[in-house]
Amino acid sequence: MITVKALRFLLILFALVALAALAFAACEDEEEEEGVTPAEGETPAVAALGDVDVLAIWGGAELESFEAMVAPWEAETGGEMDFIGTRDITAQLTLNVEGGTPPDVAIPAEVGLFQEFARAGELTPLSECSGLEDTIKANYPQGFIDLGTVDGTLYGFFMKADTKGTVWYNPGFFEENAYTPLTADSTFADLVTLTNTIRDAGVVPPWSIGVESGEASGWAGTDWIQQIVLNEAGADVYDGVIDGSIPFTDPAMKAAWESFGEIALPEANTVQGGATGINATGFIDATLPPFESPPTAAMTYLGGFASGFITDQFPDAVPETDFNFFPWPGGGVTGGANIVYAFNSDETTCSFLNWLASAEAQQVWVDRGGFTSVNTQVGLDSYPDPVARAQAEQLTTAEVFRFDLDDAIGGALQLAYFTGVTQYLADPGSLDAILTGIEAARTEEAEE
Amino acid sequence: MVGRRWWVPWLWLAPTLALLAVFLIYPSIDTIRRSLLDDRSESFVGLDNYQFIIDNPQPLVSDTHSALLNNVLWMTLFTGATVGLGLVVAVLTARVRYEAPAKAAIFIPMAISFVALSVIWRFMYQFNSDIGTVNAVTTGIGLEPTAWLQDTGSPQTVVTEAGPDKLPKPFQINNFALIMVGVWNWTGFTMIVLSAGLKGISTEVLEAARVDGAGEWNIFRRIIVPILSPTIVVVATTLVIQTLKTFDLVWVMTGGRFKTDVVATLFFKEAFVVRDFGVGAALAVVLMLFVVPIMLITIRRFQFQEEIR
Repeated sequence: MITVKALRFLLILFALVALAALAFAACEDEEEEEGVTPAEGETPAVAALGDVDVLAIWGGAELESFEAMVAPWEAETGGEMDFIGTRDITAQLTLNVEGGTPPDVAIPAEVGLFQEFARAGELTPLSECSGLEDTIKANYPQGFIDLGTVDGTLYGFFMKADTKGTVWYNPGFFEENAYTPLTADSTFADLVTLTNTIRDAGVVPPWSIGVESGEASGWAGTDWIQQIVLNEAGADVYDGVIDGSIPFTDPAMKAAWESFGEIALPEANTVQGGATGINATGFIDATLPPFESPPTAAMTYLGGFASGFITDQFPDAVPETDFNFFPWPGGGVTGGANIVYAFNSDETTCSFLNWLASAEAQQVWVDRGGFTSVNTQVGLDSYPDPVARAQAEQLTTAEVFRFDLDDAIGGALQLAYFTGVTQYLADPGSLDAILTGIEAARTEEAEE
Repeated sequence: MVGRRWWVPWLWLAPTLALLAVFLIYPSIDTIRRSLLDDRSESFVGLDNYQFIIDNPQPLVSDTHSALLNNVLWMTLFTGATVGLGLVVAVLTARVRYEAPAKAAIFIPMAISFVALSVIWRFMYQFNSDIGTVNAVTTGIGLEPTAWLQDTGSPQTVVTEAGPDKLPKPFQINNFALIMVGVWNWTGFTMIVLSAGLKGISTEVLEAARVDGAGEWNIFRRIIVPILSPTIVVVATTLVIQTLKTFDLVWVMTGGRFKTDVVATLFFKEAFVVRDFGVGAALAVVLMLFVVPIMLITIRRFQFQEEIR
């Protein structure tokens, strides 16, 4: 006998099944629709491509530029880019790869994880995409090709390079007060002299420094230390620190930290008012004081991408007149770049990678500003303003160029390095303990 | 009821049990398994990972002692402050005419997601007094601005000096700042629950006490609190469990930096940034162990209530 209760139960069951079927059908429909999207403009020789999942660190203005760069590819091939942006990219990538669902393409800024993935066999060699490896070998500087090679195979290429040898200042302010910007031939001692001169004049503090950046707080300070190591201690020491032959406790390294402290620690030197303020100020906020009217600081040090933050906050600022940079004294330049690598060699992925590597694509972002290309086919006069051009020139003509040290070491060591900087600023007396602690993180990693 | 079809209750429970098994029991067993393996979960290392937590050899990468102490501080201070404040507010609002709007105003923070909450308070705690509300207030009174989220010591006041490590771990100013945000969020919850309990106290008892000459404070201490104690225990238990789950609040506001790590953020960092799954799993197991006594108390209370019935 069928009771009311049983009927009700059956009804609910039926509803659930119907719902599930509907959801399933909806998913199916979506897929089909995308595959049949007609391409605009030229008729593609092959059927329209599918989706490509891209994981990168960009957001805001940078993301808009990246999307503009990808738009021609989408229009021509009918493919579609699914973008996920996160500054926490190391954690996110690890999660995805360990969980078995890596993105198609990843574009982070550090190479430590890239090398780990390559050695573990997770990545596809670029030779598996037709034409890609040849393009890269023909159009990219050898230094960058080497950085993208792991155990003899090319796994990744670089786009969007940034020089970190740029000290930003307000030219109008400098002219008014008769300060001379330094050149690549100057020395660090000249920088300290300039700092003291501006400080003693008492108009504004010489520097604006901020290292706060959420989970990665401290990285802006590491940029300082690396430039000092490269220029004062030399490229050999720099390389030695990366491969481990020179420990963080080495006197040359310690001297670099102390030089950084010479500028950052005294309260009168920075607009943030000493170390606590530096730890508490975000790295973006710290780039703005020299360009306010009137300026509240004389100089700030951050990589080439700072020009983007400055123009974002002060849209009327004219490059070279309202803001400009002088090269870090010494001529040695550290820099970073975003590395592009892929976890599979699908047709869509390969087509996407080929597009990204081409000079045509990179020209799109160059025109928008805030992007320096490593592709030698992109000429220097393509850059929209003198500041961008000067950065590209610095990158390509630097006597000594090295990849950003903390991005090169990656992992636990990088984390310890960042924490070390914030702790040094808070408690300079504990420098020895901090350096030992950082080095301990390296040996720990080596054991694993 | 039971009789012939003994398996019916099990049938109804089956879907829930299946979900629990897949999403709770299997991961727990797997985590315990991983805590005994090395960082890539390949070879057996015994209790090495737990030794790592006890020794704390890498204070710059992951300070386990700091994280554990911070968790204890959260469990005690957060729970105490939230329950205490909730109780006080519940008792006070019961006496005023604008009870409903007052309660609503205090409850609103519960409606915001933790991440939104963290972002709002990040701005409030900003060092720059032009942006940070709290520093705007303190500089308005004449004190120096304090780096609320970055300072591991004491604030700059007339009697104390700003600076790191002036107070013993974990009594750091940034810990207190974070806990304050948690308290702000959860007081609404405790207030509502305790208020409901309060309404359950018969007015005759209170009137009799007043007639006998008891002052308000005595009534509160000797009548209201004892009658409410089962409710208080329930609320406190919920809050302690909530503390152990606290991740997004700390992660968004400081990323676990400046010694504000709690066990939850630490094991996330270990597992996914440092990529040492062994230590990460060991920390997760430690967290589970923290919860066990609380679970036992709760279960015992349920059994007690069943017996009363």
